[in-house]
Formats: sequence, structure tokens, C-alpha cells
Amino acid sequence: MAPRGGHAAAAASSGSEDEEVEEAGFSRSYFLAKEKEPSSAKKRARAAAAGKLADLNLVDEQVLRESLAEIPPKHEKEIDALTRSYKDQYRNWLFELRCGFGLLMYGFGSKKLLLEDFASTTLTDFTVVVVNGYLPSINLKQVIAAIAEIFWEQTKLKQKKQSGKKSQLSQNFASQSIDDIISFLNNQTPEDGHDGVCLLIHNIDGPALRDAESQQCLAQVSCCPRICIVASVDHVNAPLLWDKKMVHTQFKWSWYHVPTFAPYNVECVFYPLILASGGHAQTTKTALVVLQSLTPNAQSVFRVLAEYQLANEKEEGMPVSSLYTKCRERFLVSSQVTLNSHLTEFKDHDLVKIKKHSDGQDCLRIPLVPDALQKLLQELA
Amino acid sequence: MTEPSREAPLTAAHNIEPFFVLHKAAAGASLTTSRARRRVDKIPQPSSPSPKSPKRPRDEDGDDEGDMELYEQLRLEAFHRTWSKIQSTINEVLRGINLKLFDQVLRWVQESFSTVRSVIRPCPAEIQQPYPLLTDVICRKIPTAFVLTKNAEFVDDVTTFRDLSDHLESNGCHLAKLSSTELSAKYGVAGCLKSLLRQLLSDVPDVADVSALASWYCRAKNYDQPIIIVIDDLEQCSGDVLGELVMTLTEWVIKIPIFFVMGIATTLDAPRKLLSSEALQQLDPCQLTMGSPSDRMNALVEAILVKPCAGFCISHEVAVFLKNYFFRHDGTITSFISALKLACSKHFSVEPLSFLCMGTLEEDCENFWRDKFDAMPEAMQKQAFGLPSCTRENNSIKPGNNLVEGLSALMKLQRDWSSVLSCLYEAGRHGKVQLLDIFCEAINPDLRTKKDSNIELLMSKVTSGNLPSGNSGAGRRFLAQALDTVRYMPMETLFRVLKVWSIHSEGMNEINDKVKELQSTTTSADCMRITKDKWTRSTNSTANGAVPLNEKATMLLDDITRKFLVPVECLPFHEIICFKNVGVLQSALIGNPRRMVQLDLLKSQSRLKCSCCSRNGIAVSASLHDTSIMCNLAQEYGDVINLQDWYLSFDGIINNTNSKGKRKLIGSPSKKKSKAAPQESEAMIQARFCRAVTELQITGLLRMPSKRRPDLVQRVAFGP
Repeated sequence: MAPRGGHAAAAASSGSEDEEVEEAGFSRSYFLAKEKEPSSAKKRARAAAAGKLADLNLVDEQVLRESLAEIPPKHEKEIDALTRSYKDQYRNWLFELRCGFGLLMYGFGSKKLLLEDFASTTLTDFTVVVVNGYLPSINLKQVIAAIAEIFWEQTKLKQKKQSGKKSQLSQNFASQSIDDIISFLNNQTPEDGHDGVCLLIHNIDGPALRDAESQQCLAQVSCCPRICIVASVDHVNAPLLWDKKMVHTQFKWSWYHVPTFAPYNVECVFYPLILASGGHAQTTKTALVVLQSLTPNAQSVFRVLAEYQLANEKEEGMPVSSLYTKCRERFLVSSQVTLNSHLTEFKDHDLVKIKKHSDGQDCLRIPLVPDALQKLLQELA
Repeated sequence: MTEPSREAPLTAAHNIEPFFVLHKAAAGASLTTSRARRRVDKIPQPSSPSPKSPKRPRDEDGDDEGDMELYEQLRLEAFHRTWSKIQSTINEVLRGINLKLFDQVLRWVQESFSTVRSVIRPCPAEIQQPYPLLTDVICRKIPTAFVLTKNAEFVDDVTTFRDLSDHLESNGCHLAKLSSTELSAKYGVAGCLKSLLRQLLSDVPDVADVSALASWYCRAKNYDQPIIIVIDDLEQCSGDVLGELVMTLTEWVIKIPIFFVMGIATTLDAPRKLLSSEALQQLDPCQLTMGSPSDRMNALVEAILVKPCAGFCISHEVAVFLKNYFFRHDGTITSFISALKLACSKHFSVEPLSFLCMGTLEEDCENFWRDKFDAMPEAMQKQAFGLPSCTRENNSIKPGNNLVEGLSALMKLQRDWSSVLSCLYEAGRHGKVQLLDIFCEAINPDLRTKKDSNIELLMSKVTSGNLPSGNSGAGRRFLAQALDTVRYMPMETLFRVLKVWSIHSEGMNEINDKVKELQSTTTSADCMRITKDKWTRSTNSTANGAVPLNEKATMLLDDITRKFLVPVECLPFHEIICFKNVGVLQSALIGNPRRMVQLDLLKSQSRLKCSCCSRNGIAVSASLHDTSIMCNLAQEYGDVINLQDWYLSFDGIINNTNSKGKRKLIGSPSKKKSKAAPQESEAMIQARFCRAVTELQITGLLRMPSKRRPDLVQRVAFGP
């Protein structure tokens, strides 16, 4: 989802006559924006210094989160009307699904409720498996295994009906490889009475599904015989996820522009709040979590460093050699090697930054403001 | 879905689960559909012996719904039948075009196999022994066919290689395919071998080993055929893995005859760039070339658009869109076909009467139409005669009172149109006219209406030797070019063309006779000419004009073009078989989230059709959707946005209008409400700001601040 791909997407996604005009408009607005951008580093610095978030009277994160839940809705009537207009299209969507296309919904606003409403009112002949793609982690294999399980149960049921006795066969899909499960899915044949499974993916462009492998896997699943797919995308660069083979021969997307203007209540949860994450609270909190997971000795080494930094605020940092001497005095480390292993741990978690001192030796510095550091030490104790 | 009460229990549990089953396909749930199915079945089939079907007795209530479902089911069936016909035609055409190449490959396989076997014919015990056989070094090379695909895009070759595999398999070869994902560093050579074994052996051992393949190959039923490994996109593979695979297999090539078929999209250099010289030395290359994409395109257009094989056809606008989509956008046949399929599904989904299309696939189409028409509810019958093509004033062909006759006439005229177009293309292709171009012109309804006035002008231009490039003739460039080609065609070519014309015009007696007549004169004249002066003929025909055979052929072609090349959109009832809605197709085919999402936000008032936001003439009104306000504000910035600044503007807009509203609306009933509500609290505004920023982040229009510059966010998209 690199932003530079956007140009390609904008160029590639319009095949109409006015492509050139559009293109020109696009580049013009890009350069206009570039013009406004402060060009030199100095100007940039000035722009950055123009105003700081810290200058605002930011409320506590707790309060912020409470208010977030109480934001009054706007345009309820209009949004209702919009949603109703989509309801009228449900039958057409189903028709297209049955024609073998995948439905891809895009446009501003959460489409979660819309799609689930479509599924529960119109896709009654299908078993609907919903995947919440907006979650930060999803195990696709479990999803595919679950689908295979559904087919397997249907087969068992059918056999039971035919032979009158319960089938003794069992399949453990969880222990099979993804390829095996997909080839099982591919061997399903369309039967009468069963429409199969509809895979409903909210945010197929979500953070956990954004990698090429997941998309390949979904593409393979979507072209299995008794599976159809309905998905939504929210990111403007979503088309870059797929190559031509995936688009035309596997997913077979039919795009629908369905802006709902509904709030992204569920999808938002996993994003940090911009006015809360910038403050010290968050950094102190994360630092604390990391420190608490370290050994008491490591914590003490950090404490030595922190105390030094608080005592000598003007200095660039604490020289490694003095840290070593101090720690050795207090029996926290026995050798330079042990200290180094602690320091590596700190560096890996961004608890400590290393700088070259003006006299040439390495200096250690904790990237926190004194207040935050003080608070951290208090909480650590 | 707007009732929160119903959603609440569902959301809590299901929103944070990675996946869940929303509901199972209940047998009871499909009651309505099955009812509809039964009712569809009740409609007498055209092939059934009872041609007269009385009007179905219908219940009064719930009837419309039932009808709707019934006809939807019919349309779906029509789509599936129509598309499977088109798809099988496409497959046939593509296979036909590739058959020559396939046979070449097969011949090469057989030759290579006999070469390998002529060196030594190892017995099963020898094959399974762990050490190599002592043979000539040269014979340790693996025969490899490099197939040059000439396609920049790989997607078109997928089907070709699939067909090739089928072809080889049906001729007895053992076949395995390796994709570029399998030939990647991640899977390694072990992954490749495993995949090979999966495809060939019924039970795959845990450890992938060539010896397992060897013991499988020793079985009597497997023994006498080579194993072909097809790698369809060589360029995408990992050179190291492929090299290693080659080196592994080369140890076995005498024992197990494994050959490679590799697809190359770029140039013959590709294997040399990809493989190490050591691996390259182990290959015994053979080069084969595929037909060009434009040949395939022409053949496809002819089979599915010019001769509508399944009754379904497209309008001029749609054709032009598809043509542009092919030439400017993508250039792959796969995407052209998928666009056509989408058009087809849209047609059957939207056009209520489209199920009648199915009639063309029936043996007795009139009977089919009659049955279906009789069974239709009255409203639908009326709808048929209310189609714009039947009601318009200036129809040259008047619709009758009978739908069946109308449809039959439509089909007949379509066939004539198709024959004439085939004749035109047959002539035009000698002048390098592409079928898709001339097709687009031939279905342009505007040209038909303008033509009568323009044609004389046009003809005069053509005769004077100029290609019409002026405004009047611009629309008929390719048709004119085709006519022109006939005019200056060498006699031998003309003779061949006439021969093809006579085949194309078989269904149209009147024309066929004329063509035959021309053919006979041509034959005699031609013989004479060839014996006399072969080389001065072209100057002769233009100079003295005594034997205007070319002229005659041109006149004939022009004549039938005028008479029979009636675009489908000029015919009554064409809406039933012709897909016209290019906008719907375009939006479904090319989703453009980058543009549309920005427009959603920048023009939210028009998307929501609300009256509150664009009043007052304020650029950014406080009543707009929060994210919309933020997006509008973001337009004022460069590629970075200062968060504090942005927040203050947002705050300004919301509070400013609030106080303004207070001052303005004194006395109005809504005033009380706004007076009661205090100014938005700081916390609430901050919360709204946060949510809007997050939403912009979700849509990808914004990137979060870096650690280094925590007060700046970055804009990603510039202008819709």
C-alpha cells in the first residue's frame, strides 16, 4: 500500500475517454500541494514549530474515549435513505453472485452493517462465513479449515441420508496444509439444494490480510466451485493488492460504489487516537511494560541511567564507561558483556538511544522528557 | 440494519472474533427459491409436445413477488446457458488457434522421447538403483521447449498452458505443472519435488524424493510415456531453485524421461539471465513461438461478437468502451473476456425480458418465445411493446403486434448484418483493417441514420482515392477502407475474397447469387488476364475501366452494406438481447476507490442528498460529516498538515457556526434546541477530531505522524 503506487492506481483504474483530463487534474493538484509544502529544511522546521499538539489543552485519554462513544450521529435521515437505496439492489447483488462474480464494495463509511444485513436477509441459501479483516491478526488457515468443515459435514449428512447409517469417516482439517485443504475445496461439486458457502470479508484490505500470501490464498479460495465471495475495501489503494490473474480469473470482482457514511466504530478500535498517543502517557506506559518484563538487574541498570540523566539534564547523555563503572560498583553487572546484553535489549525496545559524544565516546540517552522519566521511575518502583 | 437494538448483541461478540459463521444454509430458508424453481418447471418446455400453454392460473396475493422470483430464476438460467455457450466458443477458438503450436510441442515430445529411449532402455531394477547409469554425457541433457508467448501480460498464457497441458495429457504424457510460487526461494527445491509428486503419485511420501518418482515410474502403466513438467512463466521463477531442480533431475533423465516446457514472455535471453551456466548446460533447448495476441483477438471477436453465438450482443457504446479497455488499458484477452462476461451478467440482471435470449439457443426458438410470451403476466407483455425501440417514431422497421415475429425478424436481420460484416472484414483485412475496429463502426446506430445523406459524399471521396478523413466520413473510416481495398485489390486476391463471400452469404440467396455471378466473370476474366499481361493489370483497370470487376465487387459490397448492415440498436426489441448500459459496466469493471472515496468526502452533501450542508453558501459547513469537514480542510495544506493548526480550524468551523446559528435563528422552533445545547465541549470536539483522523487513516488518505515529527501528518492523495 505504498503511496507511490497511487499514481499507478489512479492511472490504471480509469479506462474512460477523459483519462487524460483526469490525469492532468491529478498532477496539477499534486504540484499545487507540493508548492504549498515548505521546500527547504528550515521552512519545514518552521512549519513544524508553528504549532505543537502540546499547546492544545488536550483532555485525558480516558475522557477522550468516553466522549468518543457519545459522538452524536449526523445526517441520520439521509444515511437511512442511502441504506434503503442499497437494499433495493440486494437482489441484483445476489444475481451477480450466482453468476459467478465476487462482489467488492467500496466507498466512504463502514460497510460492516450493510454487508451483514445483505447476508442475513438475502443470502439465506448460503452458509455465510464472516471474516473481520480489520482485526490486526487473522489466521486464514482456520477460516479455510472452517469452510472445509462445513462442506465435510454436508457430505456426511448426505451419506447418512443415503446409507441410513452414520459415516465413520472423519477429517482433521486443522492438521492439513493449506494446499491440501484448498484442493479438498476444489474437489467439491455443485449439488442441488446447496448453494454452498459465501465468504463475507470485511476489509479484505485490512492490516492482517494485506500481504501477498494472504491475498493469494483468498484468491485461490474464491475460485473454488462452491464458494462465493463478498468483500469490502476502505483503503484507496486497495486495487494494488491484486494482479490481473487474481482480478480476472480468481476473484472476478464486480465493483460496487456504496458509500454509507456510517462511522467506522469497530474498524477504528485498533488505531491509536491521534490526540492521545502523542502525549507522554503512552510512551511511559509502553516503556513501563517493556521494563517490567526484564530482569530486576536490567531494571536497575535502567534506573542508574535514568537517575544520571535526571541529575545531569544539560548533558548529552551518559558515557557507556561511566555507566559500566556505576553498575559494577552496585554489583549489577560483572562484565562489559553483561552490560552490553542489557543495552542491546534497551536499544531494541527504543528505551535508549546511542549518540556519539563531542569527545568521541558513545553516550546513552533515554528518549523521554524529565517529567515522563520521573513518572516512569515512580511506577517502576 | 439501522436498528441498534437488534445489532447490539451481535456486534459485541462478533466484532472482535477473527471469523464466525453468520448463519448456515437452512433447508427451510430456500423455500421461496424452490417454490420459484417449481414454478419455472411448470412452464412448458419448448421441446415438450404441448405447444399451447394456457395462461397460468395465478393467485392474487404474493403473486408479483412470486413472478419476480420466477423470472429472476429464468434470467439466471438464461445467463448460465448463454455464457457457457460463449465460453465454450471462446475455448474452442483459442484452442483452434493454438492447435498448431500444441502439435509442434507434442511432436517434439515424441521425438525427444524416442531419442532418449534410443540411448538406453533401462529396466525397472536399473531405474531404481541409487547410482546413475553409465551413459554418454550428452544424453544427460534435459530436453526443454521454450515457448515464446509474445504476451507482456502473463494472464493470457494461463489458459494457453492449461490447454497445452490437457493436449499433452490426452496424448498420453504424464503431466505436472510448476508455478512461479512453487519455484520460489521460500518453497525451495524440496517444495517443487513435493508438488511434482503430489500431481503424479496418488499417495505422497512424507519426504519428497526423486526415488519415489522412480519407483512410481517403474510401474508398467506408467513406464512407456515421458513426464512433462510445464512451467508457464519462467521469468517469475527463482533462478536458483529452478537451477537446483534442473541439476537434480538431470541425474535421472536417462532413467526417468522428464522434459520441460517453459513459457517465456520476454526474449530468448530470459533463461540465460535466470539460470546459472551450469544448469543451462544441462538443458537441450528447442524454441517454439505462439500466435500473436491480435490474431487471437480477431478470431474471438469474430466468433463471439460478429457471429453472436448465443444471441447476446452489445451496443455500440459498450463495444467502443470494450475496445478502448482492451487497447488502452490492459491489452489482455482475459480482461476483455471478463469484461464481456460482466456485461452479460449485468444484462440478464437488469433487463427483465432478457430471459427470452435463451430462445436463440433452442432448436425451435419461435415455439420457445411463444410459450414464454403466453405465460408472461400482462404487465410484462406490455413492457415488451413499451420498449423504447418499439415506441420510437422514426423507426425504419416497424415493430409488429407480435413479439415472436419481432424477435424472429430481429434474429434474421442480425444474421444478415453478421454476414455482411464478415464480407466487409474479409475484404478489409487485406488492407490491414482490424476486426474490432470495423465491428465498432458496423454497430454504430448514428451512422445508419446519417448514412443516407453522407454516403454519396463518402463514395465520391473514396473514388477519388482519398481516405475519408473529414468530419463527415470520420465515423466510417474502416468501412470505407474496406470498400477501398476491394476497389484496388489484385485479381487473385479478389477471387479468393469472393470465394469467402459466397460462404458468408450462404443464408442470403439474393446476395449469394450476385457473388456467384461475379465469381464466374472473375474466373474467366482472371484466366485471360493472367495469360495476357499480369504486370500491367493494375494500371489497366484504373486507366481504361473497361473491365471494372473490382468496381463491380465494390458496388456489390456497398450495396449490401447499405441494405443489410443495420446496427442492432436500430431494430425493434433489440433491448432484449443487447446490452447497452456502458456506465453500469464501467463502474462495475473499474472500481476507482482513490477517486470515489475522495469525492464521497469532498462532495458528501451531494452523495447524501441533504439540504442542510450547502445552504448559507459557506464553503465548509459545520453540519457536514466530520470526516468530510476534515478532508475539505486538508485541501488547504501541502503534503504535510500541522495537527494543531488542523485541529484549530476544525474547532473553529464547528463552534463558529454554532454561535452564528444561535444569533441567526432567534425565534425559530429549532432554536430552542440549539440554545439548550451548550457549545460543544472540548472533549467532544477532540473526540470528533480523533475519529475523523482515524477514518481518514483507514481510507488511506492520511499517514500518521512519525516519531521524529509528532505534530505533522502526511497527506497521501492529492485531488480526486
